[in-house]
Amino acid sequence: MDKFIIFLGMALATYLTRYTMIAALGQEMPSLLQHWLRYVPVALLAALIVPAALAPQGCLEIGLRAWAVLAGSLVAWRTRNVLWTILGGLAVFWLFRILGI
Amino acid sequence: MNDKDFKQGILATTALSPGVVAFGLLYGVMARQVGFSPWEAWAMSLIVHAGSAQFTILSMWAAVGTLPIILTTLVVNLRHLLMGASVAPYLRGLHPLWKALLALWMSDESYALAIAEYRQGRGSHWYFLGANVGIYLAWSTSGLLGALLGAAIPDPGRYGLDMVFPLGFLGLLTAFLQDRTGAAVALAAGGLALLGALLLPGQGTVVVAGMLGSGMGLLLERVMGRK
Repeated sequence: MDKFIIFLGMALATYLTRYTMIAALGQEMPSLLQHWLRYVPVALLAALIVPAALAPQGCLEIGLRAWAVLAGSLVAWRTRNVLWTILGGLAVFWLFRILGI
Repeated sequence: MNDKDFKQGILATTALSPGVVAFGLLYGVMARQVGFSPWEAWAMSLIVHAGSAQFTILSMWAAVGTLPIILTTLVVNLRHLLMGASVAPYLRGLHPLWKALLALWMSDESYALAIAEYRQGRGSHWYFLGANVGIYLAWSTSGLLGALLGAAIPDPGRYGLDMVFPLGFLGLLTAFLQDRTGAAVALAAGGLALLGALLLPGQGTVVVAGMLGSGMGLLLERVMGRK
């Protein structure tokens, strides 16, 4: 039973982070803020990708994951398609793993 | 109002769900190792629905008490503040209950899908809801499955399945890269996040990198006097 109380606490903390800005920014926003927010998705996505590619264990590592992301970047740039990007990146991951690179 | 958008939102998540499922299976397996029953592992996913927070909490479960667990969840999820802020303009005018509902299951993946649609002028709250629901189902079901299968699943990282998320995000990133400023922002934020991952523990650095990177975009825009 203890666990469920902790889960509820975690859910509340999570909901707080998800709801606060959506609720607070309901009104007309200053244009400076609007312009800033335009760059948020790019920045967040890049901030999630780069460490996963170059430091999967918390230390710098040019390995399979870096090559997979490099290949994925090329596919993403050419096709602009999410599924092809994933498949292209994974294909290189598996290929390089089999080849022992 | 528009169940077609809702269905499209759910369908869009199928491109990302292999990654969610791999991650969810791993979570279930880990939860068992920490001493959760399959039902407890499932309940955590159903109630909390925040993958990186759940993983972080599992890794410290035995060592700390309730309050640190809740505070850690808060910190790991701070990036949702930024996501909420950037999606808020598109939700203006919606009924407050709709906003509350969309916030409930907003995940990294469903947010990325939804805002990509909004930016291209096609988004809708029904699509957003569909994406939320699709990811929610994939995450909670695979968590239960992983917990039931226990240790039978080999390390998903061996097959690079942990890379499905970053690669999917990469595919989405191109939708936002329309000019040099955007590219500069991506490089700056990615570099900062890498630096953070190398130098600091935890996941807080994604938020800082996101804020500084996007702030730099604004600065560049002002300095160069164009979009």
